[in-house]
Amino acid sequence: MLDLATRRIAATIPVGGKPAGIAMSADGHLAFVTSPSAQMVSVIDVPGRRILRRIAAPGGPLGIAVQPAGRRLYVADWYGSQVLVIDPAAGTILAHVQVGNSPSGLAVTPDGRMLVVADRLSNAISLVETATLREVARVAVGTHPFGVAVDQAGTHAYTADVESNTVSVVDLTARRLAGTIKVGKRPYVVALAGGRGFVTNELASTVTAFDLATLQKLATIPVGDYPEGIEAGPHGRMLYVANWDSNTVSIIDAATMAVVGTMPGGSSPRAFGTFIRP
Amino acid sequence: MPPRLLLALCLLATPALAHGPTRQKLELSVDVAAPPDKVWAVIGNFHDLSWVPAVAQVTGAGGNDPDTAKRDVVLKTGGAWHDEELSDYDATNMTYGTFLPHVDVKVLPVADFSTHLSVTATAGGSHVEWRSAFYRGYPNNNPPPDLNEAAAVRAVTAICQPALDGLKARFGASGH
Repeated sequence: MLDLATRRIAATIPVGGKPAGIAMSADGHLAFVTSPSAQMVSVIDVPGRRILRRIAAPGGPLGIAVQPAGRRLYVADWYGSQVLVIDPAAGTILAHVQVGNSPSGLAVTPDGRMLVVADRLSNAISLVETATLREVARVAVGTHPFGVAVDQAGTHAYTADVESNTVSVVDLTARRLAGTIKVGKRPYVVALAGGRGFVTNELASTVTAFDLATLQKLATIPVGDYPEGIEAGPHGRMLYVANWDSNTVSIIDAATMAVVGTMPGGSSPRAFGTFIRP
Repeated sequence: MPPRLLLALCLLATPALAHGPTRQKLELSVDVAAPPDKVWAVIGNFHDLSWVPAVAQVTGAGGNDPDTAKRDVVLKTGGAWHDEELSDYDATNMTYGTFLPHVDVKVLPVADFSTHLSVTATAGGSHVEWRSAFYRGYPNNNPPPDLNEAAAVRAVTAICQPALDGLKARFGASGH
């Protein structure tokens, strides 16, 4: 856990099982962390800085998202083609939803009605209606989508396409591809802030900023090596980038699109998902 | 108001697909008694691995331009890999990165092999760092012993470590 004000490590909580994905509850009190090699999800009490419970999640639990109300967790099984639906309070699996192959990143629309799944090996996203837990549409995107983000309006999804070096924009209302942006090498995760998209490019050690309205590239921002997780902080003023190889977190000013600071990031930080306390 | 906290997960696992679940990071370095420009002159060309004892031959094109450069590498063991890419190149800061999209696991038991090589100044000369990131050679669950994470780390170490040792022998050791 890093303190954004002091830019220091505030606490370290052993999770185990090679933790990979993370989702924060809307109130910032709970963090849900996947551990693929231990096949579990850990529920972390953020203010208390302790693990509340562990939930078994068979398969390859990787991407994770939480419903806005916090009553449902969605966990992608990247060895398979399903998403687990979990009751985080009871610690039980409620359902399995069939999606495309090797689901990776997950995102939920702000109204909680739609789950967006990046199906990495299907080169598509699956749209899953959360009320019925059925896949209602599948939209082709770039090659090997990994991270996926949904905008505040819930009208567009953005995937980082690892193999095609693109970001795909999907119109969630029309359920079709609305645009493609060429970005840097091996894009991984997309974050949104202030009408702009920011995508980490793992092999280029950069973040590409683009305009959400025009889909034009605005800037290429050098960060640490192997940048992975990225998310906007409070009020969308700063973005935080976990640099897996450099063991740092880069801080990007969303307005100037420049790095304004670097924090220690522990050992091999990943932060795949939502990781900033609101 | 409670401090705003950010969780940066500490992990080695990288669940990406079409390769094993755990990305390995190998960081090797050496301190030598020569200024950085002298060391960079020896190691700073993407198409010259004469300083790497395990390598027999490098052929390629595109110079040191990350947009076009590619190289084929033949090892002294007889194995080879092709179309290794230059992912970034910065002569001013004396660093370059590579990425190998595909390699026969019989040659090198890894997948998605990338490296960063850099030279920085120290009081006693230069610090050379060679960081590698890669997955094991076996993409599915339950890898055989010759294709697991330990085998991947051993294989990459066997290429990189003698090269750094060679720099130390060539330029002399420096304790910083």
